[in-house]
Amino acid sequence: MEKKPTNVMDLLEGPIIAVNVGLNTFAESLKQQNVEVVQVEWTPPAGGNKAMIELLEKLL
Amino acid sequence: MSSGFKVRPNQYFDSIFLMGVNKRLSAIDGVRQSAVLMGSPANKRLLADIGISGEGVDVAGPNDLLLAVVADTSQIVEDALGRSEAWIEGRGGVSPARTSVRTQARAVADRPDANLAVLSIAGEYAAAEARKALKAGLHVFLFSSNVPLEDEIALKRQAAEQGLLVMGPDCGTSLIGGKGLGLANAVRRGAIGVIASAGTGLQEFACQVHNAGFGISHAIGTGSRDLSAAVGGLSTFAALEALARDPGTEVIALLSKPPAPETLRRLLTRLEESGKPIVGCFFGARPETSGLPPSVQLVQTIDEAAQTAIGRAQGAPVAPSLQLTPLEKELANSLRARRSHGQIWLRGVLSGGTFCYQAQQILRGLGLEVRSNTPLDQDLGLEDPNRSLGHAVIDMGDEYFTLARPHPMIDGTLRRERILAEGRDPELAVLLLDIVLGFNASMDPVGELSGAIIESRRSAQAQGRDLAVVASVCGTDGDPQDLAAQAKMLEDAGAVVFSSNARAVLFSAALLD
Repeated sequence: MEKKPTNVMDLLEGPIIAVNVGLNTFAESLKQQNVEVVQVEWTPPAGGNKAMIELLEKLL
Repeated sequence: MSSGFKVRPNQYFDSIFLMGVNKRLSAIDGVRQSAVLMGSPANKRLLADIGISGEGVDVAGPNDLLLAVVADTSQIVEDALGRSEAWIEGRGGVSPARTSVRTQARAVADRPDANLAVLSIAGEYAAAEARKALKAGLHVFLFSSNVPLEDEIALKRQAAEQGLLVMGPDCGTSLIGGKGLGLANAVRRGAIGVIASAGTGLQEFACQVHNAGFGISHAIGTGSRDLSAAVGGLSTFAALEALARDPGTEVIALLSKPPAPETLRRLLTRLEESGKPIVGCFFGARPETSGLPPSVQLVQTIDEAAQTAIGRAQGAPVAPSLQLTPLEKELANSLRARRSHGQIWLRGVLSGGTFCYQAQQILRGLGLEVRSNTPLDQDLGLEDPNRSLGHAVIDMGDEYFTLARPHPMIDGTLRRERILAEGRDPELAVLLLDIVLGFNASMDPVGELSGAIIESRRSAQAQGRDLAVVASVCGTDGDPQDLAAQAKMLEDAGAVVFSSNARAVLFSAALLD
């Protein structure tokens, strides 16, 4: 097996601390399972204008 | 007939909340059609399809909410729009002024120990958010579909550089340390690890392991394209390395569509190096056992994968088998005898992509020619996904049906309509269904479909035919929907119920000649 450094074991060992972007119900179901979650109240950036989103991503 | 719409500018809601509002709206007496959507271009096309247009719709953008109603009278339209606005005001939208955490950067600043981003936004925005997550050092669970292939490759390469894991895109399910992400079932922990490119395949496998009294260490979804030549299995390899090292994982199962040949070669090497017993199930592939490492056992169905993994975890290898019990065969014989002369076709109206593949594989193995909108054999594709032909199994979770709509495991509306449409075909002999329970799935999936099942069976009966309905339920006793109650409701609607899709398919085939 290739011996690259991996952090995936850290995730498996847990605990999961999640940032949820999107469906609120996903955050709720994680909370029901005693997972800590930060819900991001996401909306399409730049009014959903894709060219503007790409430009913003490059700038930030 | 009358119609109307309302635009609520700069009010963003997620699709599940909007689905709930639309369900209430469509239940109002006199409402014929309704839509509650954000103003993205795809959604505006859906509105045009139901005859809703106007300047307000034209200028609306992805952050503007659109409510539209077609009803018997203008009074009903006005009343329905008014009521739906009141429901929305009762909940309150996401407006920039009222929320504190609006970016991942802010979330990570608040919780520097965060280690996983769960992303379920529209596919066109998902890659940008996944890049932000990786930049912040987070692993990614990417539920969103319709993410461009080149973005997937770039994200997974970036993740590999950082030692991070990208689950998805189009990843329905994972279970990490017993915690379900996305559409996942309540499954106990145990010694079996699983890596799956197929969401429902992962759910079915985990449920069967649980229902047999065993458990799952971790179940890692990788996304439907991960083992393609283009992506090269980057997430599968990362997951495999982690499960190989994980002391709690004694056996690893791998469920996927057939990998690209060059990916398979590298995969086999990695599997051998893992040092753990491996069970592989590549849907649609005829197992090629030459050159297979001795630690790797290939099987053809999820049921056999679960049986084999359990056997290997117990150190007692089993010869997996998939067959009906004598009692089930007897029942099949008696139902087959009730068929009328003209009833010849089997039709599957399925929500799970893996179930659709597995059904085709099993039926093909039995010598049946089966068409599909997601065909295993490309020459058996359906020209029009809305119209079945001959024996057919339809994946209602395919992009064709889910663009700008919730997945059929979350909202049964389209499946209900399709069941009724199939039920009207006098040549229909067997209707095959799947029900998937778990976190984030519909809270009453059978309730959404049972009316259509009963109506189809009743109208067939009125015309002197007996319509057989065969359904599988994927779930566990810990799932929020109540597995036993859902199965009972299916039986009460007249369905023969199985706890596995593979066995439901076998039984369905036994009802044909």
